[in-house]
Amino acid sequence: MLVSDLRKEFYDVIKGKRILVLVHSDIDGICASKILQSLFRADHILYTVVPVKTRSDLVSAFEQHREQARYFLLLNCGGCLDLVDVLSPPEDVKIFVADNHRPLDVCNIYNGDQVRILSQLGEDEEVPAFEDVFREEESEDEDEDSDEEDGKRRRFDEETLERRRARRQWHQQRHKIIFDYTQFSYYGSSTAMLMFDLAWKLSKDNNELLWWAIVGVTEGQVCERTEQDRCVLATGSLQGHVSRLNHQTQDSQPLDCLRITFEKELKLALYRQWSLVESMRHSLYASTTLKLWTLRGEKRLQELLAEMGLPLVQCRQLYSGMDVNLRQDLRSLLEEKAEKYGLPDLLFPSFSASRGFRTKVGAADYVYSAAALLEPPQKDMTPTAAALDVADCLTVGREEVLERGIEGSKQQLSAIYRQVQTFLDMNQVISAGPFLYATVIQGTPDAWFFSAPHCLTLLARFTLRAHVSVSRGRKSGALPLVLTSPDVRAAQPDTCLVCGIPPTSEDSRRNFFGKAFEQAAEKTASRAELEFFDTNIIRLSVDDRSKFFDALISLLS
Amino acid sequence: MDSIEIEFLAEKAPVTIVPNFTHDKLYLISGDVGPFTAGLPVEVPLWLGINLRQRGKCRLVAPEWMDVEKLTEKKEEEKQSKVFTQMPCEHYLIVTQLLLSSAPEDIPNAQQIKTLVKDIWDLRISKLRSSVAEFIESEGTHATLDRLTLLEINSVRPFLPHAFDQLHRLSKSAHGSNLSQTTQDIQY
Repeated sequence: MLVSDLRKEFYDVIKGKRILVLVHSDIDGICASKILQSLFRADHILYTVVPVKTRSDLVSAFEQHREQARYFLLLNCGGCLDLVDVLSPPEDVKIFVADNHRPLDVCNIYNGDQVRILSQLGEDEEVPAFEDVFREEESEDEDEDSDEEDGKRRRFDEETLERRRARRQWHQQRHKIIFDYTQFSYYGSSTAMLMFDLAWKLSKDNNELLWWAIVGVTEGQVCERTEQDRCVLATGSLQGHVSRLNHQTQDSQPLDCLRITFEKELKLALYRQWSLVESMRHSLYASTTLKLWTLRGEKRLQELLAEMGLPLVQCRQLYSGMDVNLRQDLRSLLEEKAEKYGLPDLLFPSFSASRGFRTKVGAADYVYSAAALLEPPQKDMTPTAAALDVADCLTVGREEVLERGIEGSKQQLSAIYRQVQTFLDMNQVISAGPFLYATVIQGTPDAWFFSAPHCLTLLARFTLRAHVSVSRGRKSGALPLVLTSPDVRAAQPDTCLVCGIPPTSEDSRRNFFGKAFEQAAEKTASRAELEFFDTNIIRLSVDDRSKFFDALISLLS
Repeated sequence: MDSIEIEFLAEKAPVTIVPNFTHDKLYLISGDVGPFTAGLPVEVPLWLGINLRQRGKCRLVAPEWMDVEKLTEKKEEEKQSKVFTQMPCEHYLIVTQLLLSSAPEDIPNAQQIKTLVKDIWDLRISKLRSSVAEFIESEGTHATLDRLTLLEINSVRPFLPHAFDQLHRLSKSAHGSNLSQTTQDIQY
């Protein structure tokens, strides 16, 4: 069932009751859970937060806590599964779902009572009509009965034949509709933004909650999950909130207050915490456009820096060590030269936060840091601990966790860059017909970084863009990429993670690999685990890999 | 008395809030707290105001003495006068501390107010200390200090009575030894 008024149908319902929050280990979900936690604390609502990473985590967490609460809230997980089927909740349990994964399962949308969906569906998301998907059970039973009754002697009268034919046709139609609906998976608007709107309606919003909503929305932008126009809308509404809550000048506010500013930000990863050259090398956009792994690319970069008047020595040292006037002019200088070097989208509207006398940190920096904290290089951290780390990094006053995350993110980005360089130097991105294919070789020392979904997707995007920028033919721009990497973090040996991303030439971010992987796995009976909520990533056993790919090729061609 | 206890007493001071909810009159043991209407200012004890603010249910309004100009004037007055001046609120330091820690955004110019109140406190404490030192040196028997606040008195309370006790004992024993000396002289 779709919920239209969050306040009346969700918040007032759970006031005074105990609620269990199951949150997906992604940044948007964790931001949304933090906003909710501060609301719950203000109203003395008892809550438990459990981070989950995969479907089996979700089911086991539900089983564990099923006695304790009557109300469950699923953040960014479970929207695309048939919840009543998968979780089998008891009669009086109500499950609220706020998921930014689309398409939402039709059973969840049309469920009468137990499953309530809090996410707002956009205008362009067409949900199949109820009549097309569900049908009265009675008429089917009637037909079944009448068939059984007559046993061998079939009734050839017109009515029954008509009914049977109509039923078959309806089933075929239904199958087609469901297939079209679930074929492409994509992302809707951010859940953190939804929770912030709820806080605003309850007049409990403040700068901290707004910052968490901003980080959640920026994740969608940085990881290229949400479509461009949706991004613009979200940024616009966030800007309204920022100006409402931050209109007082610096002097009248105490120094250790959080201040958020809206400004045009450079698409360079972590440039404030790193040196300018390093940041350009490791950012997806700048690096792939300037082709910085080639000698020619390096020369072009130096040309660009020289034209802007930045001394090379300063660009190679830490950003905070550069001259103050250079730092201030950097944005405008880059803006001028960007067109000439083929970097038109280098600036994008974003938000940054400053507190007291600390350096400003951008929302994108928070996203990178949190992503690195979610998939730490240490072997002994459980996923729950990692998720709690991310929650800490977002808390105001725990800056050391943020800094730790930024260091981790630098390592992650360097590993990705090295791997992309290997791929391109050794021509390991091969065309397998309907898609491009690359595999991280077993035993690479950086494989530890890539055995995590978020990092793997980032590597895939980097590789695809880099390959497209280098290859001569125009065809590669239209091909999607499938990337596999050995899963060294998994409990079972000899498994690998497979990740598929859409081609670069397409603007829409709709991904058909979820369905494609599912069908290929079914066809070949491979030992594949479609565990993750981001359906474009699956875990596959290495032995079944070749037949899986053969099936995939035949499916997509 | 502990400073914690004085803070507890200070929390009874009235403060104006602007609630964002509507509620009837609350009948509490310490007194009635008037009906709450969203958007209209109402006076409540400090402890209730802070609690509601932490739960996001109201906005705090700075008391009228908590203003940069008024406090600067007070500070000048305190500097010029040799004795203590009347403070606008009996528990000025505690109220400032509590209001600024729970809702710094609601009070305009919070940073300057913090500095000014701290300056006034330092001035008064230094005056207190110098007057205590003077009193001990002059070996007076009684002194009157007007317009001291509870927290300031509490800052010297652990030290002052014991110090005077010791001095009294020392002077008694010194006086006694003087007496015994004179008696000895008389004997000889």
